[in-house]
Order: sequence, then C-alpha cells, then structure tokens
Amino acid sequence: MSITLRSLLVTLTLGVLGTGVWAQASSQPSRVVIVSSDSAPAYTQTAEALTDHLVRQGIARTDIAQSLAADLAVRLKSGQPPRPTVYVALGSEATQLLVAAGTQTPVLSALIPRSSFERIVRSQGKTVSARLSAIYLDQPLARQLALVRLALPQVRRLGVLWGSESADRATGLRPLVAANGLDLQETMVTQPDDLPLALAQVLAGSDVLLALADPAIYNSNTLQNILMSSFRARVPLVAFSPAYVRAGAVLALYTTPLQAGQQAAELVLGVLRGKPLPDHVLEPNDFEVGVNAQVAHVLDLTLDAQALRLALRRLERLP
Amino acid sequence: MRPAFPAFHPLSSLLFPAALLTGGLLVGSLSQAQVVASVSEKDFLSDMPIVLSVSRLPQRLDETPGAVTILDRDMIRNSGARDVADLLRLVPGFQVSNAFESVAPLVSYHGAFGDYSNRLELQIDGRSAYSPYFIGSIGPGLQSVALEDIERIEVLRGSNSASYGARAILGVINIVTRDTANTLGVQGAITVGDNGIRDTQARLGWGDWRGTFRLTADTREDDGLAGANGQNRVSRINFRSDIRANGSDEVQVRLGALKIDSGRGTAGNIGDPLRPFAFESSYAQLDYKRILNANEDVALKLSHTQERYTDVFPVYLRQWKPVFAANDFIPVSANGTASSDVVTVQHTLRNSDVVRLVWGGELRSERIQSQALYNTQSVFVNDFTRLFGNVEWCVAKNWLFNIGALAEHSSDTGDTVAPRLMLNWHLTPGHTLRAGISKAYRPPSNFESYADVRYFWHGLQLLQTAHGSSQLRAEELVSKELGYLGEFPDWRMALDARLFDEKIDNFMRITNQAPKTYLNDEDFAIRGFEYQLRWQPWQGAQVVLSQTRTNITTVQPGDALAAPKLASTISYVHSLPGQVTLTLARTDSSRWASFGGNEDDAQATRRTDLRLAKGLRWGTRRGEVALVVQNMGSAYRDYQKEFLFQKQAYLTLRLDD
Repeated sequence: MSITLRSLLVTLTLGVLGTGVWAQASSQPSRVVIVSSDSAPAYTQTAEALTDHLVRQGIARTDIAQSLAADLAVRLKSGQPPRPTVYVALGSEATQLLVAAGTQTPVLSALIPRSSFERIVRSQGKTVSARLSAIYLDQPLARQLALVRLALPQVRRLGVLWGSESADRATGLRPLVAANGLDLQETMVTQPDDLPLALAQVLAGSDVLLALADPAIYNSNTLQNILMSSFRARVPLVAFSPAYVRAGAVLALYTTPLQAGQQAAELVLGVLRGKPLPDHVLEPNDFEVGVNAQVAHVLDLTLDAQALRLALRRLERLP
Repeated sequence: MRPAFPAFHPLSSLLFPAALLTGGLLVGSLSQAQVVASVSEKDFLSDMPIVLSVSRLPQRLDETPGAVTILDRDMIRNSGARDVADLLRLVPGFQVSNAFESVAPLVSYHGAFGDYSNRLELQIDGRSAYSPYFIGSIGPGLQSVALEDIERIEVLRGSNSASYGARAILGVINIVTRDTANTLGVQGAITVGDNGIRDTQARLGWGDWRGTFRLTADTREDDGLAGANGQNRVSRINFRSDIRANGSDEVQVRLGALKIDSGRGTAGNIGDPLRPFAFESSYAQLDYKRILNANEDVALKLSHTQERYTDVFPVYLRQWKPVFAANDFIPVSANGTASSDVVTVQHTLRNSDVVRLVWGGELRSERIQSQALYNTQSVFVNDFTRLFGNVEWCVAKNWLFNIGALAEHSSDTGDTVAPRLMLNWHLTPGHTLRAGISKAYRPPSNFESYADVRYFWHGLQLLQTAHGSSQLRAEELVSKELGYLGEFPDWRMALDARLFDEKIDNFMRITNQAPKTYLNDEDFAIRGFEYQLRWQPWQGAQVVLSQTRTNITTVQPGDALAAPKLASTISYVHSLPGQVTLTLARTDSSRWASFGGNEDDAQATRRTDLRLAKGLRWGTRRGEVALVVQNMGSAYRDYQKEFLFQKQAYLTLRLDD
C-alpha cells in the first residue's frame, strides 16, 4: 500500500517537476537531464541521489532537470528537444529512447544491466564512446565469486542455471570459477518446462547456487520452487537483489539506487567540468551485501553482511 | 448418536478426478502463454514474493524441544528396506516386527507393550495416519506411502503430546513426502526375490511453475515370516499436487488409498484359525498456506480418512462342544469401519530473533462402527477439540527455551493438558545440551472402553470374549530427559545422546480372565540411555552406530521384557567408484518379546543385512540395480515364537526418466 502511494506521489511530483522544468527550459536550458524509464522508487531514489551529489559539488539545482522517458519521447517528437550538456538515462527504456533519438549530447546510461545495454547498443548500430557510456547495474562476476569464497569458504561446487538471456556470460564465468578453485555445475534451460528438472540436476551437484539475472529462470513465479528446492537441498542461493534476500536467498550482492546515483554523479560532474565520458562501460564501484539471517541460521551459516562488504572492498582495493 | 461434524465424506471420490483435471488444465494453458522476456533493470529492482517465511523455516536440530533422528532419502535407499517399519529399526530405541499378524508390521519406541502400535503418533505430511480402529495403531499408516516418494522421516524420540496430542505419548514419526517439483518425469521399479518377494512401483510426475503433480502406484508382496499365515500384499496409490497460486501462497491436495491383504491365525486353533483378512483405507487432504510476511504465516488443513477392516471366519460349533450338529457354525468377525475428519488452523509468528510462536487449534471427529466388536450397529463418535501452542524463546545468547502445551477436550474421555518445558543450551558452536520435562496422557481407546464381543447362535448368546471398561482412566506419563548433540568436525563425527526417565501411571493392560477386559494396572518407569554416533572415516564412507539401554521396571509376572535391555545397530555405507554403493547393517538386541508376548516368546534379535547397488546412467536417464540380502545369519523369532524371519535375498531394478 505504502509503495503504491509513494509511486503515485512520485509520479505526480515528476510530472509537475517535468512540466515546470520544461516550462523554463526555453529561457534557461538545464545542463543535466535525468531521464527515468519508470517512476518506481528505485529510479527516483537514484535521481535524487544523483541530484544531491551534484548539488553538494556546487551544481545549481536549476541546472538539473528530471523527466520520464515517456514525457521526453513526446517532447523529442514535437521537435523541441532539451539541449543539455549531458543526459543521464536511468534504465533500459530511457537508454533506448536516447540512443534511438541519435542525440549529439553525451548519454550516460545507469541503472541498466549489461545485457540490456549491449542489446540496445547493438540494435542501434552504436558503439560505446565518450558520447555513449554506461554504469552497469549487475555486479562483475569476479566480485560475485569473491563473495561466494569469502562467505561460504567450505563450498567446492558452484551451480549455475543458464537461460537464453544469461548464457553468454558462461564464457566469462568458467575461467573465473576455475581460478577460484571451484567446480562448475551448469545446466542450460532452453524452455521454462525444463526448469524443475534442470534445477534438481544442478542442486544435486552443487554446494551453492549462484543466481544470475535471467527472467526466463528467476522470476516471481519460479522463485518459490527455486528457493524451496535449494533450501531443502541445503544449497544456499546467492542472488542479485535485496528482494531475493527478503524472499529467502541466503546472500545477495547488489548496488543500491543511492550508490548508483552517486557513481553516475561523479561522471556527470566530469562532463560538466569539461571531461569526456569514459569511452568504456563501468562496473558498479559500490555495492551492498544482503544476508537473510533467519535462513542462514537454519542452514547453520554465520554471515555478517557488513564484514563481507568491507572484506570485498578490501580485496578490490576500493576506498 | 450425535451427528458427526464436518460432513465431507465423498471428498476422496469428488476431488480425485477434479484435481487431475486441474493439473491437466494448468499444464495445458501454460504452453500457450509463454513470453520470452529480456533482462532489464526490473529483474534487479522489483519486489519478490516471500518464500522462506517463518513456518517454512524449520527448527534446527539443536533447537528442537527433544531428540530427533532423521532418515533421509540416501539412508532410506541404502538400507534396502522394503517398508517404513523395517527402516525404523535403524532409529535408537525402536522395536520392530515384520509380522502382519496385527494387520501390518508394528513399531514401538521404548517398549512393545501390546498387539498394536498405539503409543506413537504417525504424521504423513501433517495428516495423522493413526488408525483409531481396534485399540489404535500406526501399523497400517506406516504402509500407506511408497518409500520412493519419501523425502525424509523425522522421528521425534520421546513424548511429544505437547505438539501432537495424546497419541504421541512416547514419540512421533513424521513422514515428509517429496515435493512434486522434485519428482517430475516417469519412474519405475521392480523387485523380485526369495520368499515370494515381488514389488512393483510406478510414478508419474508432471506440471510447471503453476503447479506440479505426482501419481504413484505400487505394490509390495511377499510370503511373510516362516510359520506365519503369509502372502502379504500391500497395494497403494497416492496423488499429490502442489499448486502455487502466486509466489507465496500454496495449496496442496493429497489423495490416496491403501489395501493390505494378508493372513493371520494359527493352524488348529478354532478361535484363531488360519484365514485371510483385508484392511483398506483412503484419505483426502487439502492444505492451504498463506504467507502474511516473512515473520508470519497461517495454515489451514482439512483431511478425511476412512478405513475398513474385513476379517471373518466360521467356527464349527461341534469342535467347541459335541452337542452341536456337524454343520452348526457361527461366523466370527472383526469387521468394521472407522473414519476421521480433521480441521486444523495454525498461526506461526516470529517476533525479532528472540521469540517464535506457533499456535493453533484442531477439531477432529472420529467415528467407529463395528457390530462385531461392539455388539451394536451404532456409530461411536469421539470429537476432539485441541488448542496448542509452542514458544521458542531465546532468553539469552545460546539459551533457548521451548515452552509448549496442548489442551485437548475429548467428547468421550474429557479434558487433558499436556505441557512441556525444554531448555537447549549451546555450550559452544556444535555442542548443545538439552534438558526438559513433559507430561502426557493416553486416554483409553474406543475398544478399551466399549469393547463388547459376543457370539450368538439362533439368538442365544453362547459366549462373550471381551468387554471394555468404562472405568478406565487415561494413562499418564511424566518424561524427563537430558540430551546432548555434538559435532566433531576434525574427527568427522556427530553424536546424539539421550538419557531418559519415562514414568507411566495407570498403564492400561488387557486381563487374562474370560471375558477379557482392560484395567489400569501398575505404575512403572522406563529408564535408560540411547545414542547415535555418525562417523565418516574417509570420503565416501559412513558409519552409524546406535545403542539403547532400556530398563522397564514393570513387574507383571510372566510377561517378557517389552524392550531389550541392550540393543545395538551399526551400519556402514561405502560409495565405491563406478557408482557402486555397499551397505552393511547389523542389529543385535538382547532378549525381548514383541508386542505383548510372554517370556516364552522372548528372544534375542540378531540380523545382518547387505546391500550392493550399482547406479546406471545412459544419456539423461538414470537408474539403479541393487541386490539386498536380509538376515544373512540364522533365522530369528519375530512377533511370536513360531514365526521366523529367515534369510531372504532380492534384486531391485529402478529406472528414472
């Protein structure tokens, strides 16, 4: 209920803000336009964190405008595009819109998974450059494996379910798994009907199940079966969002909207100060570790989310 | 007689086709509605339904209010056992008979005091499979599930009436069947061997994320114990569906039927001649669970169970008294039916990490009808109202109290309250001490209270052989225990030890006078010590050693010990290369007599079993071929002195698709 209310409020606010900003846009164009794919809390939180960080660094609030992708689409169509110094596209829809619009303004895509970004770039015939860059939402595989090794040192066999959306990461994962001294138990799920059997196979040969985002495998319908089966098999699930931890995954590694907003702000600030966007994509530079203490307790695992996060940061020599 | 409450008798006949149909529809509709979605930030940012909520997270073994032995699928398979009763001999403190003389093989914990297993509760996926016919028994219930469908068996050693009611006075056997999501595809098995052993089993599992389904049919057949009136045949069919309406809520439907065909009696005994008998039962069960949030769940359970016993034979009266003509006979029968309807509501609540509360209520209506046993056409109705609660309270770091009680009102036997207090103290990680006390009651069964077995010839009463006693008081048990659970990872060992003192007052015993009746006999105690040690000496090998010392202070003259003074079981499982598994198990117990036997029947039990299995694999298909030799040594007495468990070997072939 509260979430619905909040989204409604946010939508209203964004709508009002949007109109307000565009109203004054003709006289004083904004230097930064943040385009959100959606009005869900994660997008507004990212936009707020980005804005706050910029303001703290001396950028005037009036220099920063926010818009929903749908509203911007209308404006682009009407031939009166805003002309900022930099666009920040939050999410796939906003990124798709700006890339397709062929704007000359640099676009920084954030809050976007690697495969979504790659798909958009490919389909639009673009390349990553100083005019189009991204900060991924998903964590580097090396970081996920490091978490598994730190949190579950007894683990020897890592299970992964590949779907059509995630299978291209297999080539990246295999050498990392071997380098970490683990065995990989992987199964490809080509159609949803195969999931239960594939799951049973993977669980039978794994000490931990690493979930990689793929809606054909991990979605709200399949989650019950996956979590129940992995719990029964005493195979902890390591997931990619805090919602999975609430649902019953033992561990998750994820970047919060606040962290995503701050990282984007650093790059935006550079652009505003005359630096180009990096001509390569970036991994998230900050993250959280989520632990479901109850599930960990029943599985007889002692896990400290904060300690794990700090240990991971030390490993990566992050400040 | 009062009308019985909830009237959903035709449930089994109605639900079965309905559930199958639902399964078909769900599967059918899905294949049309598949949309391949791409990864987007929504996968990372969306909320998810809570799955592992408070009631789905079981208690850890070192936090349970009592000793628990878990038999998992590997142990079940490696044991080579063909039924659950035979398997339970691996659990410390258990006595097992393989005889079908009391309808089905019997098990008891800390003493086989009568002809039926009536001081243990049996739950199969939360449904009580305690048969109220005769004086109550879990024997037939233990035969109602195919071993291949069992995920694990949790044996709660020790009185558990505070959670499960009167029938759990000495312990509980909890059979958890496999989730249907884990039994998809086709599977079949066949077993052939000595002594007429021929078992068959077929399973079909289907479904998708909206719902998964399983249908298993199997038969178990052998010639039984040497000297017994054998040819035992158990046939059963079980259906289970897990329907996931959304991510969190869950609906399960279970249906099943069991038939036991066997024989009993003794050659030349006119009152108990050799003859066949049959026991049939069927059930329907509906479970609904709603997850309110990660810390709160409610569950609703409805079930209906019915059973029928058929055992009738003629007694030619001239054999009894010469005054009768050669053709004069009376039919001697134990025919009858029983049923139970149950509604249970349970609420589970976690308040921070300190308190977890499970509480709820149950209405249970049992009906028994037997002209033969009660000399009336009337239906005996016994309504139970139960309120139960257990608080898991972590009073301080490493100190956990379980405080629970079950209050029961029986329309027949009145009110009882069974409380329990248990303290689990985690000394250091991996080492837990447990101490507790509980009180429990077993009210007299319908037969003990109201039995009235009479024989008439042309309206004339010839004989009365049994009459119940309405004066019987409930048996009372006060159980004290000290337990220890320890893990020794450096030595690859784990130990579960329990010291027990179970004091029974008003013990109900059958008298030897004619007609037979029941009376509250002596008070006595069962004291002793049991432990189970698991050891993995090296990779792929496991040794499990169990020993139980039992001292029953009963002084009934002529009676044998209902439990051996010392019983030991050791099993060794070794996984060899090439998917070969070897199991050796040895049971050795001092003299005892099974199930109400006298001193003449008492005998030590020594049995050695061997199992050699080879896993098969071709493509994605798997299977196993296994050879089992039970009782490699000489025959031992089982149930009574004329019955012998002889060496028997059998071969099983199992194929999974």
